[in-house]
Amino acid sequence: MPDLRIDAIINGRKVSRTAKPWQRLIDFLREDLHLTGTKEGCGAGECGTCSVFVDGVLVKSCLMPVAKAQGARIDTVESLGRNELSVLQKAFHKAGASQCGYCIPGMVMAATSALRANPFADREEIKERLGGNVCRCTGYQKIVDAVELARDVVNGRISATALEEEETADGRFIGANVRRLDAPSKVSGALKYAGDMVMANMLHVQVLRSPHAHARIVSLDISEAAAMDGVEAVITSEDVPGVDGFGVFVHDQPVMARGKVRYVGEAVAAVAAEDVVTARRALAKIKVVYEPLPAVFSVEEALRPGAPVLHDYAPDNVTKHIPVRVGDVARGFAESDLIVEQVYETQAVEHAYLEPEAGLAHVDADGVVTIQSPSQNITHHRHMLARILALPINKVRMIMSPVGGGFGGKEDMIYQGMLAILAIKTRRPVRLVFTREESIASTAKRHPSKTTLKMGLTLDGRIRAVEFNMVCDGGAYGLSTEGVMRKAAILGAGPYNIPNLKMDTYGIYTNNTPSGAFRSFGALQAQFATESHLDICAERLGIDPFEIRRINAMRPGSKTHTKQPLKSASLLAALKAVAQASGWEKGPPTSRGEARRDLGGPGNRPSCTLGSRIDGAPGQARDEVA
Amino acid sequence: MARKRGRGMAAGWYGIARTATVDRAGAWAEIDDGGTVKIMTGVTEIGEGILTVLAQIAAEEIGVTPQDVTIGDNDTARVPEAAHAGATRMTYMIGNAVALASRDARERLVAVLAAHWEVAADNIVTANGIARVEGANQHMSMAEAVHLCKSRGVVPVGSASFGTDTTGLDPVDGSGRPWQAYVFGCQVAEVEVDTVTGEVQVLGVWAAHDVGRAVNPKGVEGQIEGAVVQALGQALMEDYKLDGGHTTTPGFAKYILPTALDVPQVNSVIIEDPDPIGPLGVKGIGEPAMVPTIPAVMNAIYDAVGVRITSLPATPEKILEALRAKTNAKASVAAE
Ligand code: FES
Ligand code: FES
Repeated sequence: MPDLRIDAIINGRKVSRTAKPWQRLIDFLREDLHLTGTKEGCGAGECGTCSVFVDGVLVKSCLMPVAKAQGARIDTVESLGRNELSVLQKAFHKAGASQCGYCIPGMVMAATSALRANPFADREEIKERLGGNVCRCTGYQKIVDAVELARDVVNGRISATALEEEETADGRFIGANVRRLDAPSKVSGALKYAGDMVMANMLHVQVLRSPHAHARIVSLDISEAAAMDGVEAVITSEDVPGVDGFGVFVHDQPVMARGKVRYVGEAVAAVAAEDVVTARRALAKIKVVYEPLPAVFSVEEALRPGAPVLHDYAPDNVTKHIPVRVGDVARGFAESDLIVEQVYETQAVEHAYLEPEAGLAHVDADGVVTIQSPSQNITHHRHMLARILALPINKVRMIMSPVGGGFGGKEDMIYQGMLAILAIKTRRPVRLVFTREESIASTAKRHPSKTTLKMGLTLDGRIRAVEFNMVCDGGAYGLSTEGVMRKAAILGAGPYNIPNLKMDTYGIYTNNTPSGAFRSFGALQAQFATESHLDICAERLGIDPFEIRRINAMRPGSKTHTKQPLKSASLLAALKAVAQASGWEKGPPTSRGEARRDLGGPGNRPSCTLGSRIDGAPGQARDEVA
Repeated sequence: MARKRGRGMAAGWYGIARTATVDRAGAWAEIDDGGTVKIMTGVTEIGEGILTVLAQIAAEEIGVTPQDVTIGDNDTARVPEAAHAGATRMTYMIGNAVALASRDARERLVAVLAAHWEVAADNIVTANGIARVEGANQHMSMAEAVHLCKSRGVVPVGSASFGTDTTGLDPVDGSGRPWQAYVFGCQVAEVEVDTVTGEVQVLGVWAAHDVGRAVNPKGVEGQIEGAVVQALGQALMEDYKLDGGHTTTPGFAKYILPTALDVPQVNSVIIEDPDPIGPLGVKGIGEPAMVPTIPAVMNAIYDAVGVRITSLPATPEKILEALRAKTNAKASVAAE
């Protein structure tokens, strides 16, 4: 197909350029014009990070073919607040509305559009108008606060001084609401994440991934792909110069599959080419013959005697077992008046940081292999990579680029190894940017868990014994499983004095997507069980849920389940504070529901009648708002 | 009424910094020309606001403003190691390391000033870009103070390392000191359950969390709000599904995330129970804020409609099924 000619007004300037017919508007803006304030979070119209104005209308630029830009007036986030941040951008800064910042340019565009549509929009209408933009960090509250602040400043309801830094008394900055120093770079789209960075003469990397959950690689032929025009290098596990293995605790994962694949989405080979399209075409020319192996898709299957084994070092498929023991649970249960047993299950969860994985690698003039990526652990990555590359540690340099959301998901070194090897091989800078689908399929999830919890208490609500057994699906590789099991074991029984405890957590290998680090790291799954369980017990004993926790609460000087004396413990203060703040009406958790008198207070948002206002009848909506 | 409201609560605890291993962080500080400050340490923003937090700490410790502080990029070849970005360790480990490094640099500068003014170092106050003698009128800007240091052949630099006194766990009974700082929190959730559609709306969350000492209260709130909403996603909608190892939720069209329309009003209460060990008293908030939300919501659903969801997420289908099972159970009891 011939190139397209695009004449458009972009951010107020006339642009005349050629474009490839397959390009989307987002590609044209980011790759050709280097307007990288427009981010690609999903490429499918689902997240809003790519929002721009086309002839004044908010559009998701990942859904628009570049051909449609012909003759259009396009404004990106870079058009806002050129010399000075716009009121809305300043309001985002003041309200603390940006965290990782990756959603923020799109959010600023959507909010600009919202206030243009209705400069008097109320909080609920603002939320509806931002409904197409996902933010994984902020919980939206401060974003909506920011839009309300901007609305009020623009309408003259409050003074513009409300956007300025608060006065701080005499240099006491610890404890002050200092505006985030990185916010201007985020609200303006100026901040460069790894996928926004370019280097001269840079190659583009694509990764061939396993279509099988468990298979032996019978043969892997890269010759045709490597011979293609525009392809600079194709690598497989044979190109790993040093000791091939990484992981947060056990180094059980090769840079690319070695001999067999263990999950769908595992890297098998990687290509560096002049452009992404050529690299993708080359992937299709790599010939892999797989011999499928029996696979295990649940912990039950993986633990069955004679089950297929994922890793030779763990013939029972157990990645890690962590025990914690206190006292004698048999005696504790014997002393109990009430014993409750229940099973709790949690699912696999995707981190869904808005910034998909990306990295840029090059070999510098001194032969130092340099990698920029949003890695949450460059310290450990450098150690592992030096071993993988068989280089002295100071010949490997890791730079942590701004992270567009991590939540633990960027602690694993799942792609930096391939980038390093390709940079060494090609002696050119190489860049890899994951698609959303690739990110979801190939990176770690929160451990799914199954917990059997048995608790014994006396009639006065004192816990006498807990038996806690948690089994987690760790997926195909170890990653952070060991640490997650440890944290779950230490914290899972909750901040309560439990004289007799038998706690076991197990991480199990399966052929599922690997599980790894995720904000709250095992403690979340385990305490979900314990905190649900305490309510069940409180109901049976007729005790208020705050009270049962107070009765058992660890206090300063209490010993933790790992027998560590606590120097300080603030649980009682937290219980008291939240009971007060919420105006909690005392009573056992007997499904009181509508009989309660503490419902519907000022700390709630209105209950939602989704989309009925701006989609249905906008005129009517205004009335309802007013 | 098809929509029924209820409330639930849950508590939680968490350990600060790396688990059951010795944690450590290093930092360098330089009081630079013009009364600005350079901080070098292994940190990059992952969204939590750490750069601002460190700038606030360095500014207060040295006596400049946060806007005067520049923090170097996290680069294994250029800055001292501060380990990793996670484990709710940034403010605790790196904040304390930066405070100590800042004090070290300030001490160098103040020694020169003390000799210049012929007063004891203890009498010198540095704040907001001004160095002065307490109770006297000698003063100069921090820019002048740096200039003075350099004219005496002194570059006011400092360095520090902050480490933890922690141990691994005993392999048999798990005993050990996995952390030196612990935080506690508690949340109440108010929900509305639609008994016809099974849909759960979380309308309000009250969240009280101990952070030791809040360096930036608005930043702490931001962490709590974000954590509550992430937990809500897991509580009610998010579900990464596989079929024979292949995901059936490959994109955001299938993998549903909370939007602005799904979120409750989050009412944060910050509790400050200072860490008795570190120089600043700070602890952390990133992960602990997520712990009580899910059980609080499940307890609230039980309060509203009398069904207990023990398998996440509490989708409308699961709620309806549980409601049906409850009705059937009642009916069969009635029939007996
Ligand atoms: S909506 Fe365009 S990148 Fe997500
Ligand atoms: S700040 Fe919104 S996704 Fe990170």
